Amino acid sequence: MDLEEIQKVWSDMTDQLEKQKKLNNELIMKMTQHRFKSKFDKIKLYETIGAVICFIMAIFILFNLNKLDTWYLLACGLFTVAFLLVLPVITLGLLGKIQRMNIVNNSYKDAIVKYTKAKNQLLLMQRVGIYLSFVLMFTSLPVFSKIMKNKDLFINSQIWLAYIPVMIIFLVLFTRWGYKCYKNITNSAENILKELEA
Amino acid sequence: MGKEESFTRIIKENEGVIFKITTVYTQDGQDQKDLYQEIVYQLWKSFDSFRNESKISTWMYRVALNTAISQFKKRKKHSITTSIDQVVLRQTENYNPDFENKLKIIYEHIHQLNILEKGLILLLLEGKKYEEIAKITGLSETNVGTRISRIKQKLKSRILKK
Repeated sequence: MDLEEIQKVWSDMTDQLEKQKKLNNELIMKMTQHRFKSKFDKIKLYETIGAVICFIMAIFILFNLNKLDTWYLLACGLFTVAFLLVLPVITLGLLGKIQRMNIVNNSYKDAIVKYTKAKNQLLLMQRVGIYLSFVLMFTSLPVFSKIMKNKDLFINSQIWLAYIPVMIIFLVLFTRWGYKCYKNITNSAENILKELEA
Repeated sequence: MGKEESFTRIIKENEGVIFKITTVYTQDGQDQKDLYQEIVYQLWKSFDSFRNESKISTWMYRVALNTAISQFKKRKKHSITTSIDQVVLRQTENYNPDFENKLKIIYEHIHQLNILEKGLILLLLEGKKYEEIAKITGLSETNVGTRISRIKQKLKSRILKK
């Protein structure tokens, strides 16, 4: 196949599509009024549900902060609250930034640059989130144990003997997988940015 | 002519263009349908701003291409394949397997290009002049020319061998 042939095939396809018009006024207007759930909307919905759960948990800890009576439990509690409040807000903000991108006034080049940068930031945030969530697992367990059962897990508890090795295995496996995925996606994104900004 | 009437007329006139864009930027039927609806939705949302624009195709391609790149899509980890159902045009009595096969090869190779190259080759195959491609993409005409030559070389080394 040579380039002229490619153009010929494309042009024939265009002619065939012209003959196969399927849309009617009703269907077109339906598409403009009823927005079908896109993948982006689904991601935003999941993130929003996650954020609401995080906020509820953070409020619960804040109301019970007085029960955390040692400096280390208080430190764990404050870290958990900060994590539960800050990370969802940043993630939702970045998703909003992508959604608010001006697709009419931006040229294709600008849209690629802005979208790729925003997506990179989002991926970075998700990656940071993965690492921090392991710290969260360590900090949240004693916090909830103290608040709900009035038990200080740092004193006389065997739970760490099982919990720590399991968490380390998860951490190693998960971060290796997460890093690989992140690297693959951002590498191709970086290439296109370099190409466009050169 | 009312807004709805003008809009539906434009979409009907260009439904094939939207179909081709969605085929280039997606890899399965469901994604393609989602993107088609999203493009129509975005075109409707920006229809008022188009009224001040001079050329309808520039507005249409810009919105459609920008919508296509901003869609979250699942990355296929392994080889990029194009389902034959996706490429095959809505069946007609003139179904031609040879033609369909050629189309499939073309789409497979376009799918392997990066996001910028996809847009450029699409506009070139659509018969756009460098001047209009430059307006839609925001690249200079010279830059468009250089990049298109590179894409041609890339495609030559892949498709032309087939």
